[in-house]
Amino acid sequence: METIKEREQSPLSRFRSEALPLPDDTEVERTHVGEVVESSTTELIAQARELHGAPSFGQFVRVEADMPVVGIVFNVFTHSIEPNRRPTAYGKTEEELRLEQPQIFELLRTEFQALVIGYLDGDEAVQILPPQPARIHSFAYLCSDEHVRAFTRSDDYLRSILNTSKIPTDELVIAVLRHTVRAHAHAPSYLVQMGKELSRLLSDDYDRLSSIIRRVVN
Amino acid sequence: MRASRRGRSKVARKANAMLDLYSVKTQIDGMVADERRVQEDFRAKLELALAEYRRWLPEWEGLARKIDASRTSWLLPGLGEGLGGGIDSPARPSTISIAATDGSQIFPDRHEISACFLINIGYILLHYGTGEKPLMSSKPRLYYREEEIYEEWGGARIFVNRELVGFKRGLMEFTELADLALAAHAEGHRTLALADGTLILWNLEGKPQDFRAAHLEATIAALDELHAARVPVAGYISQPGSQELINALKLGLCPLAAADCDRCPYQEENQLHFSREEIDTLNGDLWQGRGLPCSPIEGLSDAVLVRRVLRPGQRTPLYRSASKILAEYGPHHIYYFYLHVGTEIGRVEVPEWVATDRELLDLVHACLYDQAEKGQGYPVALAEAHERAVVRSADRETFYRFLRDTFVKNDLQTHLSTKSFKKRYTGI
Repeated sequence: METIKEREQSPLSRFRSEALPLPDDTEVERTHVGEVVESSTTELIAQARELHGAPSFGQFVRVEADMPVVGIVFNVFTHSIEPNRRPTAYGKTEEELRLEQPQIFELLRTEFQALVIGYLDGDEAVQILPPQPARIHSFAYLCSDEHVRAFTRSDDYLRSILNTSKIPTDELVIAVLRHTVRAHAHAPSYLVQMGKELSRLLSDDYDRLSSIIRRVVN
Repeated sequence: MRASRRGRSKVARKANAMLDLYSVKTQIDGMVADERRVQEDFRAKLELALAEYRRWLPEWEGLARKIDASRTSWLLPGLGEGLGGGIDSPARPSTISIAATDGSQIFPDRHEISACFLINIGYILLHYGTGEKPLMSSKPRLYYREEEIYEEWGGARIFVNRELVGFKRGLMEFTELADLALAAHAEGHRTLALADGTLILWNLEGKPQDFRAAHLEATIAALDELHAARVPVAGYISQPGSQELINALKLGLCPLAAADCDRCPYQEENQLHFSREEIDTLNGDLWQGRGLPCSPIEGLSDAVLVRRVLRPGQRTPLYRSASKILAEYGPHHIYYFYLHVGTEIGRVEVPEWVATDRELLDLVHACLYDQAEKGQGYPVALAEAHERAVVRSADRETFYRFLRDTFVKNDLQTHLSTKSFKKRYTGI
């Protein structure tokens, strides 16, 4: 409330875009990492709230809805917001650019793509694709460790990843496992369980399996 | 069978409707040949203009006196600090904010569903040296009320045409710029306001008195406020076509002590009462026996001359504009200088209180050079303001589609003119 009042009083406020929130009040009120801009049953694209502020590759995100959609980030990209304008090299550090070419950071946008692996029905983790895709413009949040644990008790998420084409599946499995192992407090039993599940899933490709396991443990 | 017939007819229609490229090519060839002759002529003119420029450089005060004493049909610069020479760019203050605006519009279209029009203003406020988040936005305004699409000037009620919308937009660009810069100033930013184009409202000349007065009043009110807050404002003109310096040199070529173009004795129509001898003497002054004594450098622009004189970053001295409309500017009489921004010569216009305030003038000089450098030849704040303001033809289409859909949804009676309908669906 306080911040809204301040904004109205600022002499510059009438020149600001109505659509974009001010940076100061987003800090306090907003904790979302992105906003959905493209959505389908199996994948979604969200625009990061801040430039370079996307969740990391392999992290779990939850999109707010009656039945929140849960996905795993498998691609992060930053690009120009205008199709006919491309960034060019300036030969300056980011710090120098922020001081002397401040406009360029307004012309770039970070987006991330997530693979939908399930949804939440109340507090229950459902490892099936959601009946309806996430809605455009709904906010995406990072999943809490609790939700990550709920979604990763069984191996279904590994199966979802390995069954997807067009994405770097092995790399994603490794990145995801690193996050989930942390969410399970690095419990050796969990690591062993997932190792077993993986060896079942990749029983026909020993080289691939050993490469994944080697890199997860590293 | 039917398919092939349709295919043929398409080809035939294309051939009929298309631009006759053969004819265009022939004309382009002619244009290029003419252009080459013009360029050779141009080089000779430029060398002569440079020689004249160098001749007057040390004696500029003599030329200044001649300018004051003469009555010419062309604009002459007021010389107060010299004719030329380059002044190096001072250092830009490490923290400075640059405000800029630009505008564009969707013109009223009588053939469309509604005769409304739209003006979109782009706002840019870039803060340098602090890392503060810039303001980059645009605000569209729709005009549709009876009193908005009909204006009454000089006793006549007229439907707003392209020209009137252009004036309205130009005025808004400037008053909004002043407001933006003053708001930034009020928030504690040291600010320079950059306007796209000239600050001289010469196109008001010849307009109805009330129209003129209304536009001048609003512009001067904005300038007054900027002046009171000591927020400098400058107009930047890229690729200026102005010829005031060249005109000064033309005057220098005139053999008379003080020129009076209306009674120019070298013009045949003014020689009626001259004797044969007098005419022969006058003809001796003529350039290559033809044209007027001032003709040989006619057609050059100041920018091409100045380009040969300045180094990147340098500016010329200040010149006082002699535009008639400035008589009504009060304390804001416009002065200008040319600036070598690296890729081209730009013209920079400032009001008198900036021109006479060395600190503000240096700020304008340094910031504009810096802005052009940052924007690869064109001030980055103005370029971004344009990007925000521009209404592309796709946007225009979307606008009218919105309009039609919304009218239909709300059951409002709509009417598209036959002409507009024809433009979209041309049948056979």
